Amino acid sequence: MSPGEAWPEPETISTDVAVVGSGGAGLMCVLHALSARPDLNVTIVSEGAVGRSGCTRMVQGGYNAVLNPDDSVDLHFRDTLQGGKFLNDQRLAWTLVNDAPRVINELETRVGCFFDRDEDGRIHQKAFAGQAFDRTVHRGDLTGIEIMGRLRDQMFRLEPVELEDVRALDLVHDRVGRLAGLTAIDMRSGRPLVLRARVIVVATGGSATMYRVAAPAREKTGDGVAMCWRAGLAVRDMEMLQFHPTGLLAGDARMTGAVLEEGLRGAGAKLFNADGERYMARYDAERMERSTRDVVARAGYSEIVAGRGTPDGGVLIDISHLGAEEVERRFPGMVQRTRQIGQDLARAPVRVSPTAHFHMGGVLIDADCRTALDGLLVAGEDAGGTHGANRLGGNGVAESTVFGARAGDTAAAIAPHRPLLEPEPAEVRASLERAYAPLGRDAGPWPFPLTTRLKELMWQCVGVVRDAEGLAEASKELDVLAEDVDRIAVPGPPEVNFGWQEAMDLANQVTVARTIAHAAAWRTETRGAHARSDYPDSDSRLRYVVQRRGAADGPVSAIETEVRDVEFSYRAPDGDST
Amino acid sequence: MRNRHRKAGDELRVSVTRSDAAAADEFTVPRIRPMMVLDALLAIQRTHDPAIGFRYSCRVGMCGTCTVRVDGRSVLACQTEIPERAEHIRIDPLAGLPVVRDLVVDTAPFWQAWKSITPYLVPDEDAAGMDATPAVIKPDSAERERIDPSLDCIGCAACFSSCGIASARRDFIGPAALNRAMVLVADSRDTAAAHRLDVVATDSGVDRCHYIYGCSAACPKGLDPAQAIRRLRKWRFDESR
Repeated sequence: MSPGEAWPEPETISTDVAVVGSGGAGLMCVLHALSARPDLNVTIVSEGAVGRSGCTRMVQGGYNAVLNPDDSVDLHFRDTLQGGKFLNDQRLAWTLVNDAPRVINELETRVGCFFDRDEDGRIHQKAFAGQAFDRTVHRGDLTGIEIMGRLRDQMFRLEPVELEDVRALDLVHDRVGRLAGLTAIDMRSGRPLVLRARVIVVATGGSATMYRVAAPAREKTGDGVAMCWRAGLAVRDMEMLQFHPTGLLAGDARMTGAVLEEGLRGAGAKLFNADGERYMARYDAERMERSTRDVVARAGYSEIVAGRGTPDGGVLIDISHLGAEEVERRFPGMVQRTRQIGQDLARAPVRVSPTAHFHMGGVLIDADCRTALDGLLVAGEDAGGTHGANRLGGNGVAESTVFGARAGDTAAAIAPHRPLLEPEPAEVRASLERAYAPLGRDAGPWPFPLTTRLKELMWQCVGVVRDAEGLAEASKELDVLAEDVDRIAVPGPPEVNFGWQEAMDLANQVTVARTIAHAAAWRTETRGAHARSDYPDSDSRLRYVVQRRGAADGPVSAIETEVRDVEFSYRAPDGDST
Repeated sequence: MRNRHRKAGDELRVSVTRSDAAAADEFTVPRIRPMMVLDALLAIQRTHDPAIGFRYSCRVGMCGTCTVRVDGRSVLACQTEIPERAEHIRIDPLAGLPVVRDLVVDTAPFWQAWKSITPYLVPDEDAAGMDATPAVIKPDSAERERIDPSLDCIGCAACFSSCGIASARRDFIGPAALNRAMVLVADSRDTAAAHRLDVVATDSGVDRCHYIYGCSAACPKGLDPAQAIRRLRKWRFDESR
């Protein structure tokens, strides 16, 4: 231990490219960086098991890409903008739809994935909601295992440095404010690390776990966005948090919130309220259950709030009319998932609720994943703008792999021209002091009840439908919560201590939650995933709010805002776009 | 017990192997329904010992990181329901892998074996990349009928832990890696079949298997690594495949 500090002297490691996160974006980035420049030293920093944590792994339905000559990237682009209610950064959305088919080629022919085939032996594409063409590539109904399993295999070929179970804490600058590296903790040993890097790619995934009913993996606690926020990066569209319409209800079991995939609705599943009414007719008579996620989630929520839900607060999804055998054949993973909690998708309606799923908001990037900070790239769910106000099912894994690949290309291009810099010791110390504080305190709350408080508050006040009063309440409560999080005490050793992890997760979650509540209060209209009961209509002028951390440091720093008009660089809104 | 008036079935006793001999290793948690083994571990973490060591990520049987032994069987904690009448369960770390702390193991030996069979596709370089066209392969082809049922391995190591040979670390590549080898050898897009067949024919390969079928019984994804091993044994001597 260094004198007077609660942690040992950090080990310093140097690398050319540090990739934070090992999901779809992170591993595609490694693949591209090392394919372009095999001489680079690339280091993966992964809080969980490499390739086996995060959310690409959890992808069920599939991957949108234009492969059929009767389809077109223009059509995919239009679907993406209409789904996003034209709030999208059109340069990013255009990049997404153009690169997606090429990344599918690469996943199949280089990475070794094998997606389901049509009878003629060509890649099968299934129907997903909100799309004018059946373009969703998949492997059964558990596509993420194939994509991440094969990307993980590629790491044995490429052999990057893998720092597994190493949690990145903060980006650190040199004496004059240039990006120099990051601080981290090896969670197995509990010891600190300083990683110096020429280029850092942040690809940790989103933050939707901060809601009572939530779909993502444990690690998705906004770590990447919070890290960038503390480093002064700008974020956009933070109010745009997607609720997937069909999350499982399993009481207090951890399974609650797990998604039943969108392909069910694509294949004809119907939604009913507890009165047996097919309620989508009142919300979107034309598209019914195949309407976009924002519309279907809001409809389900409205039914539940109006007292037409099941006793455990859900609605019912029913696909049993296809026949048990057919449902078992097409959706084996989903059937198994429901049977495990004592229900049976193949034979009867299943109780579901909207579940917090995906964060459209995130760090401002350009089409090459560059940010305002030289040397810092952001890819995947940590970035904002691609999906606008609502993400289409099947565009998520497309985003993580397309932009992960681009980040890898960019990293390979700029790393040789960026020097290794010396992290400012005071920044390193401040970061480690914050991280180790919960272990050093003798008294204070455990993190778990505070996590529960956050999830309940976000669900009630910053959830599927919002209003000014609830958002003001949330804003106040989040500040109180931030102060409480700053007092957490975790017992036990520093080695493999997931209670300590949760304390650090929570600090990041509250940081991101404050920006969500703040942006949600700013947007006085209803658009996409952001629904205001006090402002039910959409404005004709499309604007977005860019937020940045204000001067004051500590848990409740000020939030600076700048309002911008959406640029229609490729396509103006259609008459029927919102 | 805090509440003596609770009926049997309202609580569950859980014994957990701990690394620190002084740490508590038996806990009583409230019974919820449905309740997976993961829920019991989370209840221990939330109400008794925040620092108890166990790993999980997705909680829907896709990441393969929460594997433990429950009453001796190697299973995914998130996918294993606690039987309705159970009053007590015992949870141990996986067999054959070094314990890092409590139920968290170092999976490096498992991945070392995985790596030894060249687990990635080795394509014809001219047919690989962003501008290459995916192969046309019919779903009912002999190739896919072999591969598809063996494809969804999540690398959870339940088979490794349940295999008497692999978990005893008796120099055996193990069921998961051999299953992966079979998948790639059968894949017409791959060009490294001969190399892999050489690897599986070494002393650490298929001949170490004693056909106890622990692997196929343990696989949470319903794969059949024992069958893959049988196929590889046959293919060693059969050029036609």
